Order: sequence, then structure tokens, then C-alpha cells
Amino acid sequence: MSQSMQTLPTPLTIALAGNPNVGKSSIFNALTGANQHVGNWPGKTIDKQQGRLSIQGREIEIVDLPGTYSLAAYSVEEIIARDFIVNEKPHAVVTVLDATNLERNLYLAAQMLELNLPLVIALNMADEAEKQGIEIDTRRLSAALGGVPVVQTIGSRAIGIDDLKESIYKLAASPQAPVIPKLNYGPEVETELRALEAHISAIRPLGGMYNPDWLALKLLEGDEELFSRLSDEGNAALVALAKAAIARVEELTGEDPELLITDARYGFIAGVLEQAVVRESTLLETVSDRIDKLVMHRIWGLPIFLMLMWVVFQVTANVSAPFLDYVDYAFSGPVSTWASAVIGLIGLGGTWFESLVVDGMIAGVGGVLVFVPVLMFLFAAIAVLEDSGYMARAAFVMDRVMRLMGLHGKSFLPMLVGFGCTVPAIYATRTLKNEDDRKLTAFLVPFMSCGARLPVYVMFGAIFFGAASGNLVFAMYILGILIAVGTGIVMKHTLYKSKPPQPFVMELPPYRMPSVRTVWRQVWEQTSSFLRNAATLILLISMVVWLLMAVPARADAGTFTDVDPEHSLFGTASGMIAPVFAPAGFGTWEASGSLITGLVAKEVVISTMSQIYVAEYAEEAAEPTTFVEDASGLVLGFGEAAVLTVQEVVNIVPRTLNLLPGLSIPEANFLGAAADDEDTSALGQVLLGTFTPLAAVAFCVFVLLYVPCMAAVAAMRQEFGTRWMILQAGYALLIAWGAAVIVYQVGTLIGLG
Amino acid sequence: MSEPTTTTLDTLQIGQSATVRRVGGDGAVRRRLMDMGLVNGVQIEMIRPAPLGDPVAYKVRGYRLSLRKSEAHLIEVEV
Repeated sequence: MSQSMQTLPTPLTIALAGNPNVGKSSIFNALTGANQHVGNWPGKTIDKQQGRLSIQGREIEIVDLPGTYSLAAYSVEEIIARDFIVNEKPHAVVTVLDATNLERNLYLAAQMLELNLPLVIALNMADEAEKQGIEIDTRRLSAALGGVPVVQTIGSRAIGIDDLKESIYKLAASPQAPVIPKLNYGPEVETELRALEAHISAIRPLGGMYNPDWLALKLLEGDEELFSRLSDEGNAALVALAKAAIARVEELTGEDPELLITDARYGFIAGVLEQAVVRESTLLETVSDRIDKLVMHRIWGLPIFLMLMWVVFQVTANVSAPFLDYVDYAFSGPVSTWASAVIGLIGLGGTWFESLVVDGMIAGVGGVLVFVPVLMFLFAAIAVLEDSGYMARAAFVMDRVMRLMGLHGKSFLPMLVGFGCTVPAIYATRTLKNEDDRKLTAFLVPFMSCGARLPVYVMFGAIFFGAASGNLVFAMYILGILIAVGTGIVMKHTLYKSKPPQPFVMELPPYRMPSVRTVWRQVWEQTSSFLRNAATLILLISMVVWLLMAVPARADAGTFTDVDPEHSLFGTASGMIAPVFAPAGFGTWEASGSLITGLVAKEVVISTMSQIYVAEYAEEAAEPTTFVEDASGLVLGFGEAAVLTVQEVVNIVPRTLNLLPGLSIPEANFLGAAADDEDTSALGQVLLGTFTPLAAVAFCVFVLLYVPCMAAVAAMRQEFGTRWMILQAGYALLIAWGAAVIVYQVGTLIGLG
Repeated sequence: MSEPTTTTLDTLQIGQSATVRRVGGDGAVRRRLMDMGLVNGVQIEMIRPAPLGDPVAYKVRGYRLSLRKSEAHLIEVEV
């Protein structure tokens, strides 16, 4: 017993590798069950999925590597996967292969063999391969790969997982590496490889860090990432040797070693296929081919794309609305009332403590949770699009248009979601694989006018332009798009000009039915990651705003938490900022005050205006409610939200069909509720007196373009770091101010004022 | 069989097949193209262009690959 304890001490680390879209996450889920946790790769924004399992009492830690086609270090995913394998030296690597597409999948497996690590092959999608008439002899596949264990799996139904576990365990129990066939790269390359290996082995610390065979191969491939890393570590001499070796091979063969080595891998794969594939696909046309005929059709491709995007937009903007309202109600209603009651019981009612808890903390938590429904619906929609295989087609259809702004076809979805809410739109950029594409898309997303900005235009439009208010609303949306397009084009030709072109080269994966489990898993992980990461900053900002509102600016202005907005620190600060907006026509402390609270959430702009422009509006206290009313309100409200969610899902159909000219199908209205309108008539009277119509337009322009809200800022920081967040916010403020001033000044000049 | 003619991948018509001879370009783009299996001797078929004409979908090594025309232009093929 004690002996086995000595030989098998620490948990084993196993890495899970594979191409994208091969069902790797379903294998990961099947292996680890609920024992998962999500972290971050050091210095990267990509999530690191880890899980634990125990095989015959042996603890095993599984790390799910990002899906990659290769281990060349040209994408973030590849660098992460490669660094983990090379630096952390896992005890074994499980490589998941798609049995319906063995040839290209084996390319990654071939590179795993070059690393000379204990390897297990999971031949996944065995059922689909069978349906297509593909027959693979796993024993001969194993033999052709030098004895690497090969296990057939169907990850989505957790079939073959026990066999996979057993293979992992066996590798762990007998840690000697299998006999691995050496790929033959041709005499010229081989000669240089031997020479480089000898040099590497002679540099002692290097030989311990890297497998000399592998390092020699990568250097001969001209791997820029390793070149710069080695140079930094003081091995510039080795890099020079490698470059000389590359030149020699080019001179002898007329080809660069990178191409020769890639050729050799595919040559090796051809040999493996010849031995292991008994029968190739007998299908002339797969289901995917047939769907593609429609979805990528010359004429129908675009309408289908637009319709699906419309549905996604409906899901994030409308279907999530009932639960959003519910969370809002729960926190501003019952939760606040109960908190006040409890605080009253301990004798602190009406003190600053009550204000801190109710107006500061509970309002802040509510402000975070309010995003949870919309994010969950968005993440679900994206997961379905991704897992079904449609997302790649969306990028295919839209790439031509998005490229004009220096963006990728996949950037369309985040931009569209931005019309609903900027926060999920920033997270939606995760569907882009290239970091530069992601950053640029996220930079532009806030200019898409989100749903929370709409009430501001609608109110100003109704007050100042009456029946023509629609024109103002429309103009705001168009202006936002124009600013985004313009910014994109400028950035493409400046900031991004010197960057080497990124390949678009994209697989169009086979269509697959998304599994509820993997979709739910993604929804859960990404939503909880939002709560863990972005929530802190959102809470912090709302506490700061509360504090500013609570502290009187002068001794005689009031007491802590009992002070008019105008005489609080907040009002004083607003007054100090106000002159900045004078050239835009709205240089009052009230206007800048509502813009500042608009940073907390754009929805607040109008209510802040009501509060500070129309005093009686704020005084109008809500009807007191009893505990029973609140409790039943919470329960009934949940049920109502659920019913309304279903209603919104149903209504996607009429709303979509009504887009067609001449159709007007009534929408479902399960609860017979009337749309509620905010009563802004009192506010309207005051605004008519303080804003000119032109200043009102300038104000709307500013609201459209400046920083959307603190949640968007927090999301930006979580995804792209503080620097990018500040850059975007600064740019947005500048553009917003500039545009508002131009509107007001030019308008005044041509006599519209 | 007529003489094979050399052209670039972006000139293929819908349904037309060709054999890859040479992958041009450099850096990330070239590497990526080769990693996706576009090496000397491989068969490739043009499936169809996107509705707006670019990018273009191809079938290669039993899977579907989409390339921008500028990328396809880097690949020399024999028809």
C-alpha cells in the first residue's frame, strides 16, 4: 500500500485537445460531470476550463485546451494550447478527433506525436461516421499511430467514456511513452534537425525545458513566437543557427522547411488513412450540404441570415424583458421594503444606514442582477448558433460588408445585439476568435443605440417635435451607425494599418443539433463569470454615486443622506461640469447631473430629470404595501414573468412576419396588459422652458454617443482590460461632446436655434 | 484530358475542381492555409461564393473551408 502511495502521489494532469467543433466539450462534460471550475489562462481573456475525476481512486485533473487546428503559434488559442502542453508537461494528452473528418483532424494528432507525450485518441462522433458509411479500424489506426490507444466515443451520449477513462488510467499507471512513429521530413530537413537537436541538448537549461526534437522542428519551421522567446531568454545564437539552417534547406530543395514539414505531416496522414480507413463516406451529399444549399444561396442566403439575426435580437431585447422587469420590481419593491422593515426593527429606520443599504447596496445589486436575464438569453442564443454550425455561415454571408470597416463577418452579431443592450453585445464579441477583431468590434459596439437610450429620444422627441418625433429617433440610430462605420474605417487605416493581415480562413463545420446540456453549461459559465468579474465594478460605481448624492456640499445644505440633489456633492460636481456643455446648448447642472447618473444606467436619465426638475414627482410616495402583498407579488410576479416570456417567444413569429410588406398579424397578449407609459407631462413643461429644440437634439446626440453605462464599462474592462476600457470611454466622450457641439453650433449658425 | 493549366484558386467556377500546386503569401495567412490542409497535390472543389460574391466556400480533404478571394488568390492550382 505504502509503495503505491509513493509511486502515485499527486493528482495526474491530463490535457484535452482537439480541433474546434469536434465535440470536445461534450467529452469534457461526460468525463468530469459536475466537477468543473472555470479560471483564466494567465494574461488571456479566454476561459480556462478544468475538471476533476477519479479513476480507480486516482485523482485526475483535466484541463480543456482551446480548440485548435494546429500548434503553430499564430492565434491566442494555439499559443495557450501549446504553452500548456510544452510548459506544464501534462501526464497525458487526450486528443479528440472527429471521425467524420479524420484527415484534417489527424493533422493536430500528428503534431501531438511530434511532442512525444503520452497520448490517447478519442475517436468521437462515431455514430455520425457510421451514418455516413465511414468505417475506421481503430486497431489499425492505433497501430499506424505507433501504438497510441484509440477509443471510439459519442460524447453527446456519453458513450465510450468508460473505455476512455480506462485508457487514461492505463497510461497513468505505466508512464512509459508509447513507441511513436517518427515522421519523415526528408533528408535535407532531417540533417538540419539532427544538428539543431545537438545544439539544443548542449544548452543545458533548454534541454530540460523543451523536448529537443520538438524544439528543433519548431525552429526549422521558422516559428516566430519561439524565436522571440528564445532571444529574450539569451539564446539568440540558437535562433541565428536555426535561421541559417532554414536558408540551407531552402537552397538545397528550393522550398522552405515550413512547407516541407507540413507536406511531411500530410504525407504521414495519407499513410495512416490508407491503413485505418476501411470505407470512406458513401454519401454523395450530406445533410449539411443540403442545408448549405439554402442557407448560403445566392438569393436566399441574405434574407435567411437577416431573419435569424432578427430572431436573436428579439430574444435578447424582448424575450428577456419580462424577467428583467421582474428583477427590477423585486429589488425596488419587496426587497427594499423588507430591508427597510428589518432596519426599522433594529432601530435604525430613517438613518443614513437605511439609505446606504436600500439606496446604495440593494439598488446596486439590483443594477447588476437586472442584466442576468438578458445575458442568459443572449448566451443561449449564441451557443445555439455556434453549436449548430450556423455562426460560421453567418460570418460567411456577412464578411463582405463587415470587412469595409476592417471587421470580420462574425462582428455583425455583436453589433446587432448592441441595439438591444451594449453589455451582452460586448460579451457577444467572444464569438470572434481573433483578438484584434474582438477589440475593434467591442470598440464600435457602444455606438449602436441600445434600448435604454431610446426612451430619452422618445421623450425629447415627443416634447419638442410632437408628431415628427419619429424622425429624431430614426436620426439617432443612423447617426450611431455612421459614427461606428466611420470609426471602424479610420481605425482600420491607422491603428491597425501596420498589423499583418489576419487570415479569414474559416471552417464551415457540419450542422449539428445543439445539446441542451452543453448550451446550458455555456450559459451558466458565462453568466456566472459576469457576476464574478463585472459585478464588482458596477457595485463600486453605484456606491460612489450614492455617496455623492448623500454628502451635502455645504454645512448648511442638509445632513448626510438628507440633502437636496442640488446641494449634494453630486449637484456641486454637476454644476462644475455644466459649463463644458454650454457650447452644446445644455450647460445647466440639471442636464449634466442627469448625464452623470446616466452613467449608472441610461434608464436613469429620465427619472433623474424628473427628480431634479420636478420636485413633486420625487415626493409622490408609493402606496405602502404589506408583507403579504409583497410576498405574493414576488411569487405572482415570477409566474407573470414566465408567462410573458413565453408570450414574447410566441410573438417573434408575428413580429417577424409583419416585417413583410402588407402583413399585420396581431401579437399575442396573454395577460391582457396594456403597455405602460411613463408620465412625463410635468417634466415636459419644465424641459420646454429650459431646452431649445436644437439643444434637445444636441442632448440626444450626446446621450447616444457617450459612455453607455457602468455595466458596459465593467464588461469592457473584464474582456479587454483597463487600458482598452479607458480608451473607448475617452473616445466616446470626446466624440459625443464634439458631435453635440457641432449639432448645436452649426444648427444655430444656419438659424435652426 | 486536355493539358493542365495553371491558375489561382479564386478563378474556379462553381463545382470546378483543381489540384493545389503552391501556397503563396507569408506569415500567419500562409501558415494557416497550409495547416488547413492546402498543400501540394491536394484536390479542392469550389462549392459556391457567398451571396455578395466573397468569400468563397471550398471542399477540401472532406470538409468545407471558406476563404476570402484575396486568400484564394495566393493559391496556385492546376485545373
